[in-house]
Amino acid sequence: MRYQLRFTGVGGQGVLLAGEILASAKIKLGGYGVKAATYTSQVRGGPTKVDIILDDNEILYPYANEGEIDFMLSTAQVSYDQFKSGVKEGGRIVLEPNLVTPSADDINKWEIYEIPLISIAKEEVGNVVTQSVVALGITVEMTKCIDRDVVFETMISKVPAKVVELNKKAFELGEKYAREALEKGPLKA
Amino acid sequence: MAREVISSGNELAALAAIDAGCKFFGGYPITPSSEVAHELSVLLPRVGGKFIQMEDEIGGICVALGASMSGVKSMTNTSGPGMSLKAEQIGLGFIAEVPLVITNVMRGGPSTGLPTRVQQGDINQSKSPTHGDYKSITFCAGNLSECYTEVVRAFNVAEELMTPVIVLLDETIGHMVGKAVLPDLEEVKANLVERAKPDPNVPKNEFLPYDVPEDKPAVIPPFFQGYHFHITGLHHGPTGFPTEDAVLCQNLIERLHRKINSRRKDLLDSYEEYLLDDAEYLVLCYGSVSLAAREAIDRLRAEGKKIGMFRPITLWPSPEEKIAELAQRFPADKILMPELNMGQYIDEVERIMKQRPVSLNKANGRPISPAEIIAKLKEMGI
Repeated sequence: MRYQLRFTGVGGQGVLLAGEILASAKIKLGGYGVKAATYTSQVRGGPTKVDIILDDNEILYPYANEGEIDFMLSTAQVSYDQFKSGVKEGGRIVLEPNLVTPSADDINKWEIYEIPLISIAKEEVGNVVTQSVVALGITVEMTKCIDRDVVFETMISKVPAKVVELNKKAFELGEKYAREALEKGPLKA
Repeated sequence: MAREVISSGNELAALAAIDAGCKFFGGYPITPSSEVAHELSVLLPRVGGKFIQMEDEIGGICVALGASMSGVKSMTNTSGPGMSLKAEQIGLGFIAEVPLVITNVMRGGPSTGLPTRVQQGDINQSKSPTHGDYKSITFCAGNLSECYTEVVRAFNVAEELMTPVIVLLDETIGHMVGKAVLPDLEEVKANLVERAKPDPNVPKNEFLPYDVPEDKPAVIPPFFQGYHFHITGLHHGPTGFPTEDAVLCQNLIERLHRKINSRRKDLLDSYEEYLLDDAEYLVLCYGSVSLAAREAIDRLRAEGKKIGMFRPITLWPSPEEKIAELAQRFPADKILMPELNMGQYIDEVERIMKQRPVSLNKANGRPISPAEIIAKLKEMGI
């Protein structure tokens, strides 16, 4: 089965790494994973998206197909507005509520959850750059599209040795907040 | 054994250079190609090679040509604006017969264009990258694996034909990360082409590097080995020293064409055919667009539509015979050519087919999606 994910933010937030970890984990499991990013020539602050496709069969076109995206995570309003149309009806979206506000229509169209992942990274993990790994934990828990332990191990192998513990914490906090969000249910109009 | 790696296209191009025996890189960083250089700055010193980031694009190709004249396999890398800057020195490579691999990871143009976005805008440029009369060789990678295999092939062809070879990647393929299957390393190494050496029976002070048959490349020994010869961008005779002799000048330019034209069939032609056997419709495309095309074709096949793809891998010189054959099988209104430009290669296809296929063009930095290809084909009546 094909799973299409999209991370959107602004340049400099580090969402590329999360995408690469997911794709690599799927390949380690014997499947196919592709990550393709779109960014602007602004060094920081430009809208960025990373599409991640996971499939048991070969993936050719590396971008998500518009209207078919199963899960999107967004940490910037400008990127959310620009890229949300790719999410399929009833698809799941996670937003950083301090930075993104969905419209009433959006809430009816998609399953939207609010998780303050940047605050979590900054305050609970203690380093804002771990936000992409918090996002990874959230994604794995929210989508169940890939074996959690393989993603966790892949993450450990990709982050610098001296920050492994910090990133483990970030990943687990992401999972925890995602579980809580799911229990609470999506936003209601 | 074939190797399976997780990588971006740009990193694979760098790895290919190392496996092909490249020992020198000179260049200047430019989006979206910089990872090729970055990776080589790590890999080259490990194999005893040299990496130099020069003061600009022009310096990058000049130093790479110089390294090649000294006998090592050499490479430079850039994107569209850098190709424009390197243009004059590419011509020196052509006329002086200096092997060099140039990777161009295409972005939106003209000028500085759309630095971070995809385009196939440099197709015409790679046919005629510089002034004067010559024959250019260009390969175009259509998937991650080919970012590796086409760079290896470019090194081999550059050494064999003593000429610069351009490999086109684009932003999509250069930056996407996924699984790539690479050929067995020993097999790659066993098939590497090494530069022809002078006949050892000819005394070094009598050796004539450009005194070769009318369809053969020059035989140029590395500098500093005692041979008496000259390298110049001026028209030159057998010694390499400048000449304006009418016959020698004509012979030189004719030979630069012939040494490439005579090897089209056995060395240069390269293409992929996908599900053509029973196809009634044809998508003719190249580079990263073929990823969308194949996905579109797979979806249409699942609906029972008879459609296939032809993808030239060697763009210049074009696989003329094969394209002419396709013209016999498919009427123009059943051939779709999606291109990330306003229709560059379609002119070449029309020249060969004597009919113009249907085009689908985009030049705004966004990729052509499978859905857009399907919609166009439906419009064409599939």
